Amino acid sequence: MSLISKDGALRVAFTLNGRETTVETVTSRVLSDLLRDDMNLKGTRVSCGRTVCGACSVLVDGFPRAACSTFAFEVEGRDVQTIEGVEAPDGTLDPVQAAFAAKSAFQCGFCTSGMILLAKSLLATHPDPDRATIIAWISSNICRCTGYELIVEAVQDAARAMREGPKS
Amino acid sequence: MSDQKPLRIVGQPVERADAHAKVTGRARYTVDLAKPGMLHAKVLRSPHAHARVVSVDIAAAAAMPGVRAVTTGPQLAEWVAMPVYGYFIKDQPILAMDRVRYEGDMVAAVAADTEAQANAALALIRVEYAALPDLPDIDAALDTDAPDLFPETPRGVVPPYGQGASAQLWPRKNVCYAFRYASGNASVFERCDHVFDDEFRFSRMNHLHLEPFVCVAEWREGDEIEVVTSCQNPFPLRKEIARIFRLAESRISVKVPFVGGGFGAKNNCKTEPIALVLSKMTGRPVRFCMTMEEGFLTNTQHAAVLKLKTGVMADGTLVARQSHILLDSGAYSDASPLVAEKAGYRVSGPYRYQHVESLCECVLTTTTPAGPYRGFGGTQATWASESQIDMIARRLGLDPMEMRLKNLVALHEPWMPGESGVDSDMAEGLALVAEEIGYDRPRDAAPGWSRGRGLAIGFKDGGGVNKPAQARVKVSTGGDIHLMCGTVEIGQGARTALAQVVAEILGAPLARVEYLPLDTRYTPFDQGTNASSAITVMGQAVQRAAVSVRNQVLQMAAEHLGTDAAALELEDWTIRHGNEAHPLAPMIMHIYGGTGFEFTGDGFHKQANDHQAPLETKSVFWEIGWAGVDLSVDRETGQVKIHALAVSGDAGRAIHRLVCRGQDEGAALMGLGQALFEQMVYDGSRLINGEALMYRVPLAEDLPDRFTSILQEQGHGPGPFGAKGMGEGTMLPVPPAIANAIEDAVGVRIRDLPLTPERILSAIVAAQG
Ligand code: FES
Ligand code: FES
Repeated sequence: MSLISKDGALRVAFTLNGRETTVETVTSRVLSDLLRDDMNLKGTRVSCGRTVCGACSVLVDGFPRAACSTFAFEVEGRDVQTIEGVEAPDGTLDPVQAAFAAKSAFQCGFCTSGMILLAKSLLATHPDPDRATIIAWISSNICRCTGYELIVEAVQDAARAMREGPKS
Repeated sequence: MSDQKPLRIVGQPVERADAHAKVTGRARYTVDLAKPGMLHAKVLRSPHAHARVVSVDIAAAAAMPGVRAVTTGPQLAEWVAMPVYGYFIKDQPILAMDRVRYEGDMVAAVAADTEAQANAALALIRVEYAALPDLPDIDAALDTDAPDLFPETPRGVVPPYGQGASAQLWPRKNVCYAFRYASGNASVFERCDHVFDDEFRFSRMNHLHLEPFVCVAEWREGDEIEVVTSCQNPFPLRKEIARIFRLAESRISVKVPFVGGGFGAKNNCKTEPIALVLSKMTGRPVRFCMTMEEGFLTNTQHAAVLKLKTGVMADGTLVARQSHILLDSGAYSDASPLVAEKAGYRVSGPYRYQHVESLCECVLTTTTPAGPYRGFGGTQATWASESQIDMIARRLGLDPMEMRLKNLVALHEPWMPGESGVDSDMAEGLALVAEEIGYDRPRDAAPGWSRGRGLAIGFKDGGGVNKPAQARVKVSTGGDIHLMCGTVEIGQGARTALAQVVAEILGAPLARVEYLPLDTRYTPFDQGTNASSAITVMGQAVQRAAVSVRNQVLQMAAEHLGTDAAALELEDWTIRHGNEAHPLAPMIMHIYGGTGFEFTGDGFHKQANDHQAPLETKSVFWEIGWAGVDLSVDRETGQVKIHALAVSGDAGRAIHRLVCRGQDEGAALMGLGQALFEQMVYDGSRLINGEALMYRVPLAEDLPDRFTSILQEQGHGPGPFGAKGMGEGTMLPVPPAIANAIEDAVGVRIRDLPLTPERILSAIVAAQG
């Protein structure tokens, strides 16, 4: 349970990238600042700061949320995944990461953390998405560089790789 | 060397050098940097478009908790030698001196322990303004009664120009620069069967790079400074900083990590002078990170009015063109003179004329300063030029594609007198996109809709004018390769492509090449990451540096083995001599002693100065983008449905095919947004959609049903292995190709961007009388 004191200080307990985590913070802290500035998890990018671009997307209970516009206290008891928690502990890339790397589905890379998490959430619920579904999902995030086509293809590649399972 | 052996790395599907860092979130950008004791800067911006600053009271702000420094323009004299900056014209103050010239002009700056404290302090700064009449657009600024935005003319320079080109500073009121170009004799207009006058308008976009304008500046003991910044041209920035603070360039370290997009915006001073002043005042590192909303108030594309007069024969042969372009430069000159040069020079497009004459003027208005933007004047020029070519073809009853083919400058033919030859077969590219969209197929449409197809060619000189680039390659005893050059990795894949060139030449695996962090104190000089110049200009410098190292290594081995260098091959840091293999590390230790050695090769490239060339150097290469569009228009609503968009660029030789593809597709989608909806909307001088929610950029759902990019490799480029530059070309032709297809569909011509349903519908209604 979160304990809020009069001065706005509070304790938030949540699961971060698979680990039970408790932080001391304040009521006004947003999740992106908590992650980036207090926990040095810089892979969550912040651009517009107002729920439009999706660069700051993290997964909360498996679904994308704009960390820039989510208060830290809102994740009390929830499961939070950031880009830092996507690769396996031994450093093996997740199939979505591997597909983005192989397809060059990024340029400046500023949207990439958010896009990869978005794609993971999509593929968790739609293992074999058609093009229209992929486009509908990734339309919630802005990529100013790629023209999206290579991102769509990377998501298709990742879906295929995940369905076929790890190559022997 | 490149011609005989099959290529191992160049053109191969290798993973981008920055892939792992970017897909794991480990890539570090300026925005991620924090230093111990770091302060945060925020600025107070003008709420007026044009006003005299009567007084500024900072006392209350300075007394706020956490506030370490507050400053204003007039107080800067204590900290800087020169309070203004700019490319050709030094007119932009670090902070407003006595006047503000647009809503958003910076008036005062605060450094505090936190951003929140800095913002709180800003709220307590009291400024008294005396409003002056504003100049919201080009017409207002050129009005005879308009006030002078700069009553005292700021100083500037005109660079040397060659055959047919010239320019003038401050030619008339509120015009800071005028570029002219002429070739051939205007009398040929008299022989034309037809002369057509048309006027076009071009709306402006914001760059919307996702990483904001940001820097961390540190003024150190002993007047040594370090600026880590999200910037495209660290060396020119260093020069401006040296001038502003009257400091030797050798005391300035500008460092650039990964940059989260720029599209032109991140050239020259943005956050850096203010952060440096505040650091100098406090003795602490200062971070100045603008919000996206502030980005809208910092730099934009140029809106424009373009008037073309084109003379043509009845059979469609182009004869002469006179152009007058007015660029809306916003409140300060910024890169406007350079953009004017390019817009004015490029406006005749890819066609052969007997006479061209153009005048491009930079008009100052009380809006956000306009600067470099992907396409750099070519976007505006192509919009007008490729629209008018289509209109002329239709007026003459000719097929627009046939008319284009009839007039294209041929492969290797100089584009203008004194220019380099065109390095793509342009007819080939046009045929590819026409085929892809089914240019000749029947125009079937749903009931109430009409189908149309349109083509356009974007054409610009590429590689920058007078652009020198230097590079260094070092290889240590064990064969670890250090690549040092000033090209910024802004997403375009430069680190990958340049490392591929080095690895190919040195016979090394790509992973062996490390692209060293960019620091102006140690990195060899480069003019900037712009003009699609990385592979053609820097690429040649890198190539030379690598070849130099290779030759040194082979020479050393040849002497050691008592043979001729030509008999040796370098492969994986091993010398191959027929069937023998000699690993290099032990050989080097043997020759140079136990501590080893480091081979260093330097490379330099610059297109030669040439007074016969209009811009003083011949164009390094020609960046050409072809577009074809297949669409339908709803005659009831003016709605446009794009069935297919095909674009093509010619990479000469693709160093990395997916990187080239991404550049072409990203540029094309930016062009699609420009064509259909994306624009900065002003109410007078006030920007009303300057934030993410209101400002619409293309999303995945805006992708056409079919979106194809066709990568050509015609092989005529000047870069390593025949490469040409990429990344801007396919943006240029998209808006006119769509306008051309709309006319093909419903017979109306829209001359203003964007091509909104409202505009199309009212044109349809007007045409019905
Ligand atoms: S930064 Fe959070 S949505 Fe844009
Ligand atoms: S890669 Fe730059 S924003 Fe997507």
